[in-house]
Amino acid sequence: MLEIIGLKKSYGDNEILKGIDFKVDKGEVIAVIGPSGSGKTTLLRCISFLSNSDEGIMRLDDYECDMKSATKSEVSHLRENMGFVFQSFNLFRNMTVIKNVMEGLITARKMDKKEAKEIALEMLEKVGMLEKKDSYPDELSGGQSQRVAIARAVALNPRVILFDEPTSALDPELTGEVLDVMKKLADEGTTMVVVTHEMGFARDVASRVVFMADGYIVEEGPAKEVIDNPREERTRQFLSR
Amino acid sequence: MSDRVFEIVTSSFMKLLIPGITVTIPLTILSFLLSLVLGLLLAVSQTANIKGLKQFSVFYIWIFRGTPLIVQLFIIFHGLPTIGIYIEAFWAAIIAFGLNLAAYNAEAIRAAILAIPEGQLEAAYMIGLSYPIAMIRIVLPQAFQIAFPSLFNNLISLLKDTSLASSITVVEMFAVVQQITGRTYEYFALYLEVAFIYLIFSTLLTFLQSYLEKKFVWKSDATKEEKRGRRRAMLG
Repeated sequence: MLEIIGLKKSYGDNEILKGIDFKVDKGEVIAVIGPSGSGKTTLLRCISFLSNSDEGIMRLDDYECDMKSATKSEVSHLRENMGFVFQSFNLFRNMTVIKNVMEGLITARKMDKKEAKEIALEMLEKVGMLEKKDSYPDELSGGQSQRVAIARAVALNPRVILFDEPTSALDPELTGEVLDVMKKLADEGTTMVVVTHEMGFARDVASRVVFMADGYIVEEGPAKEVIDNPREERTRQFLSR
Repeated sequence: MSDRVFEIVTSSFMKLLIPGITVTIPLTILSFLLSLVLGLLLAVSQTANIKGLKQFSVFYIWIFRGTPLIVQLFIIFHGLPTIGIYIEAFWAAIIAFGLNLAAYNAEAIRAAILAIPEGQLEAAYMIGLSYPIAMIRIVLPQAFQIAFPSLFNNLISLLKDTSLASSITVVEMFAVVQQITGRTYEYFALYLEVAFIYLIFSTLLTFLQSYLEKKFVWKSDATKEEKRGRRRAMLG
């Protein structure tokens, strides 16, 4: 469905991504793991065009685009198919929980209010945040915020949702509630790419694991295989820590 | 205080308060609205990084912050007629105050926009909003909350600075007090009196500010109510 070919990205002299080929099929849950600084987050940011790429081709089904020189309309077309869940939630502080979820439907998709509200309520129910629908983001815990952010992404019914370390900013006792929601989405067949440090989640929920180090994809394969029996020395090193 | 001074001060109160309400306040409000709109445009053209506009904005702020307000006032009222542009005193004052304060408001708004985390824009992009829409829906409302105290500070300064309009023949409160002192020679009492009226106006603005600041907080009604309850409980 979504394919990246030969993605490269540098910040100044520092080459973060050194030629990444990456593919997501419908219904897959891909966990991207690897040490800090290996380029996992940068990969997601390039895929979502939040960062510019220096080189690379993106294919979405039959649609192809040069990632370096993507035009505004190409970017907005591709983004329509993606959802993004940030490490720091980034809920809109000036809007209530339900307005956060409705915003994309109403302002970007031009849906009428009633219909958008129905969808938003359904999504909030799914993530267990219906009770807080009229609260503002400042009144939520981290785990609650992230669940709303997930509802906001899912509401637009994207074909793939990119998760950038969704639990890294949370207290340990709050990560569970977010991972539960993500597992539920995975069980429903949502296509997801998850950059994560949660090995348990990667092993049990992901269908495929991608291990990155030093700007390369070192190893990838079925989740349990890669985590329980890594082939590469570099992966073994990382997992044994 | 002698009976004569007392008589002058009491009989002058309404004579001062009326131009205060009918001239000083409209002058303040209209100038401030102009400065707010212009300030917003100047701020956004800088943060949006629009070529040309950004340089213009920097230049504008440099000029209007770097020269005295009264000189700007004189250029517009006395200077422009020599090149054939005549503006009535009241409107000349509004233009001068508005243009001048726009430079200060622009800086307050720009700083507030820069204080909004980049993630707010990124999240807006990822739900399909364009830059201008994301600014209008997400960033500017939040920036306005941050800029609000500075903007209000500028409004209170403006209220007092409108007294400069007397120097270009606008008959506002300070011009009227000068007329009365010219007749009565009671400078001390009358200038104190007009200072007192300005103080009333700016005190009212201060109350308005704290009222509005409470309104602008993004908390649900339930939380606000709970907070009020706690405060009441603490006060016993």
